[in-house]
Order: sequence, then structure tokens, then C-alpha cells
Amino acid sequence: MVETGRADGRNPNQLRPFSCTRNPLNRAHGSARWSQGDTVVLAAVYGPKPGTRKGENPEKASIEVVWKPKTGQIGRQEKEYEMTLKRTLQNICLLTVHPNTTTSIVLQVVNDDGSVSFHHIIAPLQLTSFVSAAVAISCGVMENGAVILDTSKAEEQQQLKSFAHLVFPNSCKSVVGLKEPKQKDEQVERGLITSITHGVMSEDDYFNCIERGLAASSRISEFMRNTMQKDASEAA
Amino acid sequence: MESKRPPPSALVDSYVVPGDIILDLSEMTNQTIKIGAGLRQDCDTIQATSAGMLRLSKPNKYWVESSHKSYIPSVEDTVLGVVVDIKPDVGTLVYARVVKANSIMNPELSCMDAMGKSTEFTDLKGGYMFDTSTGLSRMLLSSPTCPVLEALGKKLSFEIAVGMNGRVWVNAPSPSNVILVSNAIIKSESLSAIQQKVMVENLLQRVS
Repeated sequence: MVETGRADGRNPNQLRPFSCTRNPLNRAHGSARWSQGDTVVLAAVYGPKPGTRKGENPEKASIEVVWKPKTGQIGRQEKEYEMTLKRTLQNICLLTVHPNTTTSIVLQVVNDDGSVSFHHIIAPLQLTSFVSAAVAISCGVMENGAVILDTSKAEEQQQLKSFAHLVFPNSCKSVVGLKEPKQKDEQVERGLITSITHGVMSEDDYFNCIERGLAASSRISEFMRNTMQKDASEAA
Repeated sequence: MESKRPPPSALVDSYVVPGDIILDLSEMTNQTIKIGAGLRQDCDTIQATSAGMLRLSKPNKYWVESSHKSYIPSVEDTVLGVVVDIKPDVGTLVYARVVKANSIMNPELSCMDAMGKSTEFTDLKGGYMFDTSTGLSRMLLSSPTCPVLEALGKKLSFEIAVGMNGRVWVNAPSPSNVILVSNAIIKSESLSAIQQKVMVENLLQRVS
């Protein structure tokens, strides 16, 4: 019998409750505080500012990411996060819309309870004008081969054989879909933007993770869209 | 020319996020669509690149109305700028018009309007300038007069200059009036018309 008893009693596909606060910081051009269970991250976006740094291509916008851990000095792990985030953003942003500009993103980890990679980038980045959004999910593979979503720190460190952080594109509204009848699972192209794995997992497990993650990501997309819409309709 | 009007997008007047597809061009033949801020053509579709409300101005102009703290210059906008390169006047606050703006060059401003007259484009002396979002600037400039300015104008005398770049300049005979007007404007961003009037009434009661 396959029992996936998770420490906090969630079932394998259940995400921790998430919430988001928009624009908690006044001075930043855009900011958001995202919490998923006990993991809380604060992100601030400044830009686009004129001018690129030395060594960056002036025909495209450049993105600068600073990652600040909760405690301790900035080390290799933080630099790795910064680089992954920068690469992910370069792939999802239209960089040619504002050439020769720099956008800075600063992330502060307020509390780390697992899955601290990318969840928080989404909301503030909507505020800059050249981003198409993405959603991040982390999936883990347990000893007995079962796949669970949204891993907590305890799970990541002790129970899991391996885990992966995946970034999927946002699910979008489309006028196209309204006219033709949709086939049962078909959506506007979904793919994988970024994938970081830790540990060893089989191919089947990996594809299983991707499928589960994709399904769950549409829930997060819905939530984000609703949050932003609420903000806009309050202001209107 | 063509008498058939293109059917409006189903997403008009609803909230869109970057990546949403607004129009499918493969369905249309011989029709002209004008796209404004926040939209981009991607092969056969028009996609949103900013998050905001999709607006349509008949017959065929679409744009996304969004509010940011950082301003993207566009031609014919009137903005509040601070002089940086003309020696005797460095640091002066000026109300000017954007003449040239593209993503490659620094924007070019002018203190004369298209006809050559410079009546309203002057430097602003005294007073106080603060930064807000572009959405608030648009609301302050909308006609009929926005509720917060109307309510303040009934009881106080002040002068105000609003730049499309999010900057607002306020001047009044006494400093306390300047502060009151500025605070009222900053707070009115997310309030509805009635809430704005109530807020202004409360502020004025506390002062007088």
C-alpha cells in the first residue's frame, strides 16, 4: 500500500495556503510580499532605469537580481539563485521593448520553509511593463516513488529522495479559444521555462512531477490574476 | 473603403495580464486596427504586454490602461521635468511637452506648444512637487474635474500642475494648505468618488 503521510497532513497534490500583499513598499516602483505556508519572501522592482551596466548588451533591456537570505552572508547559494532568476526572467521578458535600460529586482527572504526559489517574483513583475508572467512550483519525489507538491523545508531535507523546482508560463486568457471548441486538455501552449533538480530521480518520476506541477500552476495563475484585478478595480 | 467594421475584442473593458491574446488577426481581412500602449503584434495575434484594463475607442483603437510609478515617455504628453543641463537654470522645475520619445534616445522636451506659443509651459516657482503613479495623474487630469480636486477647490485656494509622468506640483498661499492638498491627493488614489469627498471633508474639518 502506498502511503504518503506528509508531516503536516496534506495530501500529495495539495499546496500550502498562499497569500500575496501588493505594493507594501512605497519607494519601490513595484513590490509584493508572497507567502506560501511558512515561506515568506518580499520582492521589490525598480525600473526600467535608463542605461545599462558595462558588459551588458545595449540593444536589450538588462535585468539585475539581488537575493538576500534571511540570515548569514551572501554566498554561493544566493549567487546561484540570482543567476537562475536572471536567466528565467530573460527568457520570459520581451527585452527589446526597452533597450538600454536596467531593471533591478531585490528579493529578501523573510522566512524559509522550503520551496524558496521563485514563487515571489510573479506579482511585482506584473507591474513592470515588459513581462509575461510565470508560475513556479516545487515537486518532490519521496522514497516510495510518490510525487508531492510544494515541498516544505522538513520534507526537502529529510524525507525526499529528490526534488525539483519548476517554472511554468502563466495561463492566459485568449480570444482565440472562445471561437473554436477546445479539445479536452488543450490549452494555449504550455511549456517549461526553468527546471532545477536536486538529487536523483527517474525519467518517469520527473515527467510525473512536471504534469502535476502544470496542473497546480493554473490555480496559482488564477489567484494572481484575481489579486491584480481586485487592485485595479479598487483604484478605478 | 471597407464598410464592415471589425468585431470588437471580447476582452474589452476587462482586466488583462501580459501574454493575453486580445485579437486574432487571421480572422480579419482588409481591416485596420490601431494599437496603443501596452499592446504588441505577434505574428497573427495582438497580445497584451502590460497588466491593466483593455480599452477600445471606436472604431478601431485599442490600448491597455495601466498605472505605474515609472513613466515611459510618449509624444505630446505634458510632463514636469527638472532641468539638468542648462547651466544657470539647473534644478528648475519646468512644465513642458514631450517632443520626441523613442526607446533608443533620451526624450526631448520643449516649452513651446506645436504652434510656437509658450503660454502655459513655464518654470514653476515655489510650491512643492511630489511623485505619484501615472494612473493618479490621469485621474487628476480627467474631465469632468476629479472629485478630490473639486472638493478641495471649494474651500481652499491653490494652484496645481500635473505631469503625465506622475509628478504633481502644488502651490498655495500658506504652507499648511500646500501640505493638506498634497496629502489629500496622495491618499485619493484608491478611493472612489464618494470616499474622496468624505476624506476631503474630514481633512478640512480637522483644520478649520
